[in-house]
Amino acid sequence: MMVELINCVVPEHPEEYHDVFVYLEHKNGKLTRGSLEMLGKSEELAHKLNEKAVGVAVGKNLKEIAAEAESYGCDVFLGAEVTDFSGFSSVAYTEFITSFVEQYKPNIFLISGSREGRDLVSRIAIRARTGVAADCIELDVDVPNRLLIAWRPSFGDKTIDQILCKRHRPQMITSRPGSYKMPEKVENHKCEVTIKKVKMAKYAGDHKTIEFKQKDRLDLTSAKIIVSGGLGLGNASGFKLVKDLADSLGGQVGASRPVVDLGWIPYEHQVGQTGQTVRPKLYIAAGISGKIQHIVGMKASETIISINTDPEAPIVKFSDYFINADASKALPKLTEEIRKVKAGTPASSPG
Amino acid sequence: MVLWHGPTPRVAMESSTSSGDIVALKMIVMMKQVPDAEEIFIDPVKYTLNRSQARGIINPSDENALEAALKIKEKEGGDITVISMGPPQAESAIIECMGRGADRGILITDRVFAAADTYATSLTLAAAVKKIGDFDIIFAGESTTDSGTGHVGPGVAEFLGIDQVTYTVDSRIESGMLTAERELEDGIEVVSTKPPVLVTVLINSNLPRRSRLRLKVDAIRKGVEKWDHDTLSLPVDWVGLKGSPTLVGALKIPEERKRESRPVKLEEIPALVDELVKKGIIKIGDDA
Ligand SMILES: Cc1cc2nc3c(=O)[nH]c(=O)nc-3n(C[C@H](O)[C@H](O)[C@H](O)COP(=O)(O)OP(=O)(O)OC[C@H]3O[C@@H](n4cnc5c(N)ncnc54)[C@H](O)[C@@H]3O)c2cc1C
Ligand SMILES: Nc1ncnc2c1ncn2[C@@H]1O[C@H](COP(=O)(O)O)[C@@H](O)[C@H]1O
Repeated sequence: MMVELINCVVPEHPEEYHDVFVYLEHKNGKLTRGSLEMLGKSEELAHKLNEKAVGVAVGKNLKEIAAEAESYGCDVFLGAEVTDFSGFSSVAYTEFITSFVEQYKPNIFLISGSREGRDLVSRIAIRARTGVAADCIELDVDVPNRLLIAWRPSFGDKTIDQILCKRHRPQMITSRPGSYKMPEKVENHKCEVTIKKVKMAKYAGDHKTIEFKQKDRLDLTSAKIIVSGGLGLGNASGFKLVKDLADSLGGQVGASRPVVDLGWIPYEHQVGQTGQTVRPKLYIAAGISGKIQHIVGMKASETIISINTDPEAPIVKFSDYFINADASKALPKLTEEIRKVKAGTPASSPG
Repeated sequence: MVLWHGPTPRVAMESSTSSGDIVALKMIVMMKQVPDAEEIFIDPVKYTLNRSQARGIINPSDENALEAALKIKEKEGGDITVISMGPPQAESAIIECMGRGADRGILITDRVFAAADTYATSLTLAAAVKKIGDFDIIFAGESTTDSGTGHVGPGVAEFLGIDQVTYTVDSRIESGMLTAERELEDGIEVVSTKPPVLVTVLINSNLPRRSRLRLKVDAIRKGVEKWDHDTLSLPVDWVGLKGSPTLVGALKIPEERKRESRPVKLEEIPALVDELVKKGIIKIGDDA
């Protein structure tokens, strides 16, 4: 479908738009963690507004997906069951989701900021002629005005910006997986399920998935212990020290964005606004300054230890313990002590 | 009103012509100049970003997008047009792209384009693509380091009504089709589609080449075309801040859980580890 190249149109009757949509992304017959978090948020917002949480899904075997959504408290489920599935297609998915938007007219639409979510959200928004606030970390509603209040870290470090979409509908946002708590299961909840059959060939055209090579990606969101490194490590080999410490603790390796951009370590290790949002029991940050885009991804950690040569670094005030030292000295020292303790020698023994 | 009827699929590629005529591939690379992250200066009082002090660089994943296009050009022939929307200074980044092998550079620059959100940015870039006319593949970066939404590529594809393949780490032309590998959370998806298509390219997915002096000199001689809202026939209230559905309301300083920030010296690390064990933060006997 061709979209007319025109500006954003303001709906004449914004009051016609109601309820909170949530895109339910699913993989291997299960809702993804990101879409469950968003489902939880949509219920929270819908309750405040005295409206419904409406899950929208595309794909195969949607009955199972609907049942899972119901068990988490979804009020209405709208599914587009694809009878000639040939893999994910942005164009076809946009078409199906948009048809629900046009029919239902949601006031708010939440989409997980996963790769699939980010692939789709902008097309859906443009088709609906509305805006999107990306990577939000906090959501609220102004109930009398039925306005979504979304917060995202600003580009210029230090502040969090409120993003509003006052006149256009739906009000759309994304949040990275890991940004919110998982919703609780709800007993005896009834969800009104509608599943329609659709064909994708017409929209997907020649777009085909030829092959899918499954690869388990590092999931930092469920890690108990994370040791992260930043530019203060000096060079790529500094990650060896980070890895050693993580190994000694049975934890995972994290990283700040610049070291990923420099190619010191793959993207799957990145923590922060544009990486993963983590909440481990212990987070150790070595040579990381603590810019807001990093902090938002790890501040929910239970205990935070930072290692930095600069006592003024912003990370210090986010830390429970601050080791004011060179990472190349502190990391091996920590590793050595932990190995000792694990081997049964008390750490505080002299020597 | 501007009405875009979508690009006619170009039946011009090698495999699809019966006459054997090979018409060169036409590629467009969307590139944004961003401030070098290291040099960004934040005004501590007004919380505004002082970009003028920051050196402009090519947005990192856009370098990979250009490189992906250059690789295809090397193999299949064709030409590459770089388009960028931004202030006049962005011209230098376009010259740099031409120095690496792009054939034509267009700077979309106008005061009225300022402060555009992704809707208005996508609209403006799509209007520029429409003005360029025929194309087979548009390459974009996966996201920019300054606003970082990753929404502009898919937004342009939607306005043009064309297919898209996002998060690619590799792309090539095979019998007139574009084949690309997408890196997703749980694996690599290999996709095939027919141009016209918009492809977004991941950072670090290839090694961007350096510019060549001779090409750069040629580029400076050739110059960069400058287009404004008039050139694109876009009304002023469709672009920039006025054309943007989202707006920034209030700002707040994040309030944080108070943490103790207890100082620990290097020599005190054994005691620290001891304390962490006692508190159960580190568990002994918890193998790997
Ligand atoms: C839209 C957007 C999204 C972003 N997303 C992310 C994201 O997801 N994740 C992320 O991390 N960043 C992100 N950033 C980047 C972020 O703003 C910072 O640039 C980045 O977090 C800084 O990384 P760093 O702390 O490793 O480097 P720096 O800020 O350069 O800090 C290095 C630190 O190391 C210390 N140091 C130096 N030498 C030593 C030594 N020998 N031993 C110990 N310490 C030493 C220094 O004192 C300094 O504090 C994003 C930025 C933008 C604009
Ligand atoms: N002002 C711009 N001019 C040209 N291309 C842009 C511009 N803004 C974004 N893009 C392209 O869209 C991609 C995603 O940008 P963003 O949505 O801002 O993260 C970038 O990597 C560029 O390829």
